Amino acid sequence: MLPHLRSGMKSFLKLSLGLNFLLCVYTSAAEINVYSHRHYDSDAILFKQFTKKTDIQVNVVKGSADQLIQRLITEGKNSPADVLLTVDAGRLHRAKAAGVLQPIKSKILLGNVPNSMRDPEGHWYGMTVRSRVIVYSKDRVKPSELSTYEDLAKAEWKGRVVARSSSNIYNQSLLASIIAAHGKDKALAWAKAVRKNMVRAPRGSDRDQARAVAAGLADVAIMNTYYLGILANSSVAADRDVAGKVGVFFPNQEDRGAHINVSGGGVTASAKNKKEAIQFLEFLTSAKSQETFGKVNYEYPVKINKNQSELLKSWGKFKADDVNLSILGANNSEAVKLFDLAGWE
Amino acid sequence: MAAYVINIAQNCLRCIKHEFHFKLNAWTISALVLGLLLFLPMAEVLWHLTMPAESWKHLRDTVLGQYIKGSLILVFGTAILSVILGVSSAWLVACCEFPGRKIFEWALILPLAIPTYIAAYAYFDLLDKLNPLLIWIRLNVSTEAMTLMSDTIVYPVTIIVLTSVLYPYVYLVTRAAFTRQSNQCIEAARTLGHGPHSTFWRIALPLARPAIVGGVSLVIMETLNDYGAVKHFNIPTFTTGIFRTWLAIGDLPGALRLAACLMLLILFLLILEKWLRSGAKFHKNSQSDRPFKRYKLDKIKSFFAIICCLLPLIIGFVLPLSRLVYWASQTIENVFDATFLTLTSNSIAIAATASLITVLLAIFLTFTSRYFGSLIINATNRLAILGYAVPGAVIAIGILILAKQVNISTGWVMTGSLSMLVLAYVVRFLAVAWQPIDSGMERNCEQINNASRSLGSTAIQSLTQINIPLLRNGLVAAGLFVFVDIMKELPLTLILRPFNFETLSTKTFDLAQQAQIPESSIPALCIILVSLLPLIWLNRQIRHNEK
Repeated sequence: MLPHLRSGMKSFLKLSLGLNFLLCVYTSAAEINVYSHRHYDSDAILFKQFTKKTDIQVNVVKGSADQLIQRLITEGKNSPADVLLTVDAGRLHRAKAAGVLQPIKSKILLGNVPNSMRDPEGHWYGMTVRSRVIVYSKDRVKPSELSTYEDLAKAEWKGRVVARSSSNIYNQSLLASIIAAHGKDKALAWAKAVRKNMVRAPRGSDRDQARAVAAGLADVAIMNTYYLGILANSSVAADRDVAGKVGVFFPNQEDRGAHINVSGGGVTASAKNKKEAIQFLEFLTSAKSQETFGKVNYEYPVKINKNQSELLKSWGKFKADDVNLSILGANNSEAVKLFDLAGWE
Repeated sequence: MAAYVINIAQNCLRCIKHEFHFKLNAWTISALVLGLLLFLPMAEVLWHLTMPAESWKHLRDTVLGQYIKGSLILVFGTAILSVILGVSSAWLVACCEFPGRKIFEWALILPLAIPTYIAAYAYFDLLDKLNPLLIWIRLNVSTEAMTLMSDTIVYPVTIIVLTSVLYPYVYLVTRAAFTRQSNQCIEAARTLGHGPHSTFWRIALPLARPAIVGGVSLVIMETLNDYGAVKHFNIPTFTTGIFRTWLAIGDLPGALRLAACLMLLILFLLILEKWLRSGAKFHKNSQSDRPFKRYKLDKIKSFFAIICCLLPLIIGFVLPLSRLVYWASQTIENVFDATFLTLTSNSIAIAATASLITVLLAIFLTFTSRYFGSLIINATNRLAILGYAVPGAVIAIGILILAKQVNISTGWVMTGSLSMLVLAYVVRFLAVAWQPIDSGMERNCEQINNASRSLGSTAIQSLTQINIPLLRNGLVAAGLFVFVDIMKELPLTLILRPFNFETLSTKTFDLAQQAQIPESSIPALCIILVSLLPLIWLNRQIRHNEK
């Protein structure tokens, strides 16, 4: 047994040493280390293009943004990360508040990213835009019946609404925007009423909400636009059917506009490769990269009007809520607590 | 009365003196230090309980009740269903004779290769399949009835999904217990005129109680630990609550308090387990040389026996696996590439390294505690194995806090290194290796150790020449159990993995997070396949030991 164990141990050690060695090789060239929450194919494509163009290696740790931010806090000034990429301004705000991002100035970034889509002090810059809209059954709902998010709280929608869990940050930001528009009490009343109108306890992804509408379980769903793009271009026939059965409605066009949010990134406070990190953000917000985000991941570019994707064009132009996105971040934990109070799981 | 108290106090004092005078040596001191080190991440979590948690009042007033309710429903549902499935199939396989019995004997443990989150992904659309029923209820009964139905149905569905891959824990230990008894007790019952029915209810089941309780406690811990499946079905439980409070509300102390509540709940269950097992210390009796004659079932009974064994197997293995294989065949062109080789070798290398270290530590700790009969080491060992009762995410938080303190004081960044991840695995899974090694030493080595000591052997001689050779198969088995557990592990790996380091489980989760569940089937299948071989070997080994 013992010689057995010994030889086994040797080979394990070799294996793990080999792994460490591989990691070291990776980190020897010009490089940036990226913590990313984004799990999309578009990003992998763009990272490759960036390396090809600049000869800078992109090392990525993917993970949930909140955990990555926690990790940045833990690692402090010794963190190896140069860039944090995440979805939702709420999280970008959280990262800024935690002190893990540093302000950067770049003429190119200022040109690429409109005012409302970036942190006023330059801690983070938006990269893509998504709108949280009402998706309706083409069979059972006329677009004229729909108007605003607030309208979904009315009794006529009882047993007709589906939405995902309040643990999801997209919902938290939506409620944060309603807090910004109407105040805490009205936001709570809204969440309570919408939860009562739901046909089932919230569960599943945004895509599952569209599926529930297509299956006839519900009539309207609250979800992000780009998920419909993914469904419409899915390799699974059933998903393409779902996309065909539902329509997109941009709410609140008569008042503040449809709720939007960004995914974006910033340079970490501990960045050792600051120059390369800025170059990286500039690359991601360049017109060409913005087109890739739209075509591969069906997200709007930060300059919403410059959208090139045919699918996005087919949904029509819309008015976006121009509330400063950092306010959503500030309201975030309040929104979570309101969801708890409203019983929206 | 006073004399009695003084007597007890004197006894305690004598014990402590005894510990310090006679049992301090290099072995016990290093075991003490190691045991405490492994407990450190959990101690960090408990220590943070003293910090003020701003959202605690909010949590207590709003969601705490839901978390308790959700967790308890799942725990009770899964435990009861696991006992029904595990015990009945174990009884049939161990004590009855019917066509296909030999196949079921090993096939019934196969679901162990499937992590709970992958089972949930494999059944991801199960609830959607109920949509027509729900719509029918809305049309024919009322909207309220439908909402009620759709809100409650998620619990039984989750319980079934969890049980389908967790029942083998009960099955394995109960089968072993039945086989061990069969030679003596069941034959004795038979000669005294008891039929299979009364033998089962009056002899076999009561005798197997400690084993069943042990198996169920594993099921319960796995249930409380699960994050992927409950998140998928959006059931409010402690684990989802911990993540929500930590990350969404941004209140780490609040999350740690929830984690502590969970640890208290588990502690309560462990004490309950000890109590339920109490007075039931069975020593393995001398083996009978005559093979046990199983109850022969007639045709109708055989049919039901086959159904009874097929059902868990189909729900827990055949169906999920065939769905995954189907999805894999659909998506293989898009997903499968050379990186899968790296993913698989990453997973195997880290799981193998960590399980080896875990087993070595477990041998050292159990041996030191048993050989020197030290109460203190026994206590620190029990602290060190608590990690198994703590959700992976909580251990990861503990290690992150620990790493932060090390970072501040020495500037050494521990996070993001492979050794950190390995340490976390050891903390989490030490108990898995510790339990079988400890009980093996108790059964097989204690008396021989005493004898060898009285004959003048040193501790190291006893360890290498008696304990390790005697426990050989048990050690390999313990290592393989840890290996399979690490292959399946998710939340810890997710939080602590280094740059550019993906394992099969993180890849599965990544893809499923993007709602690309069909695409996630390929890494999921790799996990299952890599786990299957050790499991089948383990099962043979266990069978061998039973006979």
